[in-house]
Parts: sequence; structure tokens; C-alpha cells
Amino acid sequence: MPDWCEIAKQGLGPLPFEADREDEIILELAYHLEDLYSDAVRQGKSEAEAVQWALSAATDWDELRREIQLAANEEVSMNYRVKTLWLPGACTIALSGIVLRLLQIPSAPVPRVLWPWHSTELVIYWWWLLSLPVIGAIGAYWSRHAGGRFLERAVAVSLPALGMVCLPLLMFPFVLVYDLIRHHSFPLVPMAVLLLGWGVLPEAALLVGALPFFRRDASAEAG
Amino acid sequence: MSGCPINIGAQVKRGSAELAILSVLADGPLHGYEISKRIERQTQGLLSFNLASLYPLLYRMEKRGWVKGNWEGPAGGRRRRYYRLGAAGKQRLVPLREEWGQLFRALNSLAGVSRA
Repeated sequence: MPDWCEIAKQGLGPLPFEADREDEIILELAYHLEDLYSDAVRQGKSEAEAVQWALSAATDWDELRREIQLAANEEVSMNYRVKTLWLPGACTIALSGIVLRLLQIPSAPVPRVLWPWHSTELVIYWWWLLSLPVIGAIGAYWSRHAGGRFLERAVAVSLPALGMVCLPLLMFPFVLVYDLIRHHSFPLVPMAVLLLGWGVLPEAALLVGALPFFRRDASAEAG
Repeated sequence: MSGCPINIGAQVKRGSAELAILSVLADGPLHGYEISKRIERQTQGLLSFNLASLYPLLYRMEKRGWVKGNWEGPAGGRRRRYYRLGAAGKQRLVPLREEWGQLFRALNSLAGVSRA
């Protein structure tokens, strides 16, 4: 019986893999050839015929080597949600964070303080708010370009605003309990102002920028 | 309509091979040679694989998480690389069957091509 490992090794030539992986591939192919050979012998073929029969399963070793290399180099397609939601969402969060951080340097325009209410102020970073439609548009475009549906686009665009309000909302029960015990009052106004300034207004600004990309999707689907 | 031309022959060939492999692995783990023999037997020889068509495809499917390969065998005996369905393969099998069913129905209504 031929040395099937040697045949597979000679046929494939050097593969651009680590030695262990290359050995595994050679062994796997050698066992396949050996099984073909053994089956042929069991069916009554002579040894020479059985060898030929087995070798006929791999007539083009170059093609086999090329296909194995292509398979190894094939990029694993990124998960749909990663492409359409998390990457555009990370982009919008990063851009939003960068702009906000830049506006906090001393020479940046001062935020406008509106609606002083029982020592609660609605602080508006106008330039940040004005930048959000552009950021929303970028996120929505990216998500749409990656094949995202309306839901993925909307969430990807909304992530900066959601991130801003998530922490306050999570803390709300604790703040509520603390204020009830300490001040015997409900901190509803500060919470509402917080949600308005950092949640509702930014979300609206982001969606305004993203709107054209939602619309275009609707018209394309209708058409 | 613009876009890259699709090599329908290659797509159909690969798609049908993927469905065949996932289908036989749905019954349990098999090594490469068993996969090719099982498919050949169940299709009365209509579908057959050689090394170049089977193993690169298995490696691709493994990379996508559709199948998982593990060296298994009795202690002291020959160890073979057995493939079994991965979570992604189980998920993929149902829509793949449905897509091929639709394709056959479409061809049948178009040109009288039946599954039989």
C-alpha cells in the first residue's frame, strides 16, 4: 500500500499554515485516500487499480492547494448586527463624545444655561446639539450602507442619547430613595430636566440628521 | 440594473454542496470520507465529492461556525477528524432547505423541472 501521507504531502506542497495545521490537513486527506483505496480493494479491485481509483479523487493537487488556501484566507463575514448596528453605533458615540469633550476645553463656547428651576438648570451645549444631526446622518448612512434595516439604523443613531440617559435612569431609584429619606421630596424636576437636556433634545437632533436615510429606504422599498 | 455578474453555476454548486453536507451532519458527526460516501449513497451517486470539492468547503464552513471539526477516535486507535453541526450550521440549515425548496418550486413552475 502506498504511503498516502507522503502522496498528500508531495501533492499539496508547502502550505502557508502553521506546521500543526498543515499536518492535520495532510493527515485528513491521506486518510480519505486510504479509505478510497481500502474500499476499492474490498470491492475486488487489484492493488494497482485501487491505487489508481484512490488517486483519481485528487487529480488536480494545485487546485486543491489553491482552494484550501482560499478557504483559509476567506474573511469570516462579520455578524450582521455588528456591521449594521454596533459599528455605526460606536461611531456615533465616539463622534458625539469627541465633540462634547472639545466643547469642554476652556476656550470653547460656554454652554447656555436655560430654565433655572428650583436650583435645577437645563444646560445646553448648543454646538454639540448642532453637530448631532451630522453625526446622526453619518451613523444612519453607515448602517444603511451595511444593509441595516430601519430598526438597526434608528438604534445605531440613538446610541449616544441612550448612553447619556441610561446611567441617570439606572440611578433614578437610588436617587429617589435618597432624596425621600434626606429631603422628603421627589427629585422629579431635576430628573426631567436631565432627561430633556441629555436625552430628548440630543435624540431629536440625531434623528433629524438621520431622517433622509430613513426616507430613502422607504422610497426604495416602495419602488 | 448594474452590479457584478453572478456566477450562477458556481453559486448553485456551492449552495447545494453546503446543504448536502449540513443535511448529512444533522444526523450525527461524520468524518470527511463518511460525509462524501453518505451523500453519494443518499443521492444514488448524483452528487459526489472529490478532495478538492469537499475539504476546502468543509474548512470554509468550519470557519463560519457552521460545522465543527474534532479529532476523535479510540485510545491507541486511529483518530479521525469528525465534523458535527455547529450552532450557526443548525440555524443555517432551516432557511437553506426552505430556499432550495423555493428554488425547485420556482423552476418547476417555470420549466416543469420537478424534484423527482
